[in-house]
Amino acid sequence: MSWFIGIDIGSAHSKGVMIKDFELVASHVIISGANYRTSAEVIRAELVRQVNLSQGDIANTVATGAGADNVYFASQRASDIVCTARGINKAFPQARTVIDVASQSSRVIRLSGEGKVVNFTVSEKCAGGSGRFIEVIANVLRIDLSDFGALSARSKTSITFSTGCAVFGESEAITRISEGVSKEDIAAGVNKALASKISSLVKKLKLEEPCAICGGGALSNALVNTIEGELNTTLLVPPNPQLITALGAALIAATSATMEVEHRS
Amino acid sequence: MYFAGVDIGSTMTKVALMDRSGNLLSTIKGPTGPEHRQLANEVMRQALEQAGLRIEEMSYIVATGYGRLNVPFADRQITELSCHARGVSSLFPNVRTAIDIGGQDAKCMKIDKGRLTTFAMNDKCAAGTGRFLEVTATTLDIRLEDMGDIASKATKKIQISNLCTIFAQQEVVALLSRGEALENIVAGLHDALASRVAVLARRLGIEPDLVLTGGVAKNNGMVKAMKESLGCQLLVPEEPLLTGALGAAILAKEVYLKAVTEGEDLPAKSRRLEKATFFG
Repeated sequence: MSWFIGIDIGSAHSKGVMIKDFELVASHVIISGANYRTSAEVIRAELVRQVNLSQGDIANTVATGAGADNVYFASQRASDIVCTARGINKAFPQARTVIDVASQSSRVIRLSGEGKVVNFTVSEKCAGGSGRFIEVIANVLRIDLSDFGALSARSKTSITFSTGCAVFGESEAITRISEGVSKEDIAAGVNKALASKISSLVKKLKLEEPCAICGGGALSNALVNTIEGELNTTLLVPPNPQLITALGAALIAATSATMEVEHRS
Repeated sequence: MYFAGVDIGSTMTKVALMDRSGNLLSTIKGPTGPEHRQLANEVMRQALEQAGLRIEEMSYIVATGYGRLNVPFADRQITELSCHARGVSSLFPNVRTAIDIGGQDAKCMKIDKGRLTTFAMNDKCAAGTGRFLEVTATTLDIRLEDMGDIASKATKKIQISNLCTIFAQQEVVALLSRGEALENIVAGLHDALASRVAVLARRLGIEPDLVLTGGVAKNNGMVKAMKESLGCQLLVPEEPLLTGALGAAILAKEVYLKAVTEGEDLPAKSRRLEKATFFG
């Protein structure tokens, strides 16, 4: 019984990770949808299927994220801050700051040398300060979210949005399109606006290097590069940045199960 | 001797025409639309037609509002804050605090003897402006102008937990699918906006008389929600959209008459109602 699962139910996506001997063996990401309970079940079934196991083989499951309560088969719930810290510490033990760019808000966590949470700050749930801003403008530009980064990387002179608000930004983007501004320059402007909000969140907490970045926002190279420019640092980006919090939950699942065994013996 | 105030807001363009005794000759409103440089002259033309005047008869024209630089036939631009303060004071001489909630911003002004003393403004976050109701009305598939009536049927107010307009959109959809009544959700939306504007007003300090203007003041549900949030009485002009244009016309008259009395020469402007050819 050495398989452990971490499930992170976010407002946009639900992420699941399975580990064995503290190493990732399976992962799955789906859109959270309207029923978080079903999403959690789908993720568990898929993780188990990927490694040819049955549900009974899972020693422990830990849930995190906004919809953690819906993971009824989890033995415990863990805070997303703790899970993100734990996950990033596994990916980059040297990281002392981590930025998590999620769909509804952004978080910055300062870590001790041992990877424990020293301090953290969470942005208000503001679309202008989260990955949602990119979604809103991608929709206006009628481009696929996955093309957004590449598009903005081709920009020559990015626009500057007059406010950080995604609603006003949407109207502004429409006006700019009608003025003939290129999609590339508008996309780059979004990255700039978002990066500036995120870096002021980092500065509030004081940046301690090395700094890592995770969450769905870290999938965009262009956004990562723009934040690097704002903070004047090089960011550590894990291979599957959106899975870091779920990975942390899985690691907590493994650790607490191990502790229980030690306690019994 | 005739004067005009032209207020180009984000949603509506307003014009007020006035004679030298301060009598309003005509007022008109039209949607600003994306082409506001082309619309200013059109709304002005209608206002002149209504008053039976020609553009050449205008002695002085003041433009205000966020599109004020796009009024090629104006003599002067004055900020909307000063114009609002002046317009509100002309209607309510005892006003000390004025709150204007528009489609793109919310302004709170402290006024002393008709003059603006301090102000606080939100144009950074849509959730504290009329846009919040506009966006959520679209999501709920109801008309903005019906929101007040819908809210008046509420049996309770549902608290909207999201501050951000974009996330509130998702929230109202979720509330509907959970079976909450539309009127209770709409009442909650009014409350949410009112409480945000109240924070802005309290930062400035509220003194009576308190006047509410802007497009949002036409919504009875919002007037009620603002009264509850602020815990005080609220005066609303008959035409809450027009105070900016009215103030601009009054200031046009004052600037002109002062110059005339002081023997100062105002450069004669050859006026033609034409489109602006540049973007201010």
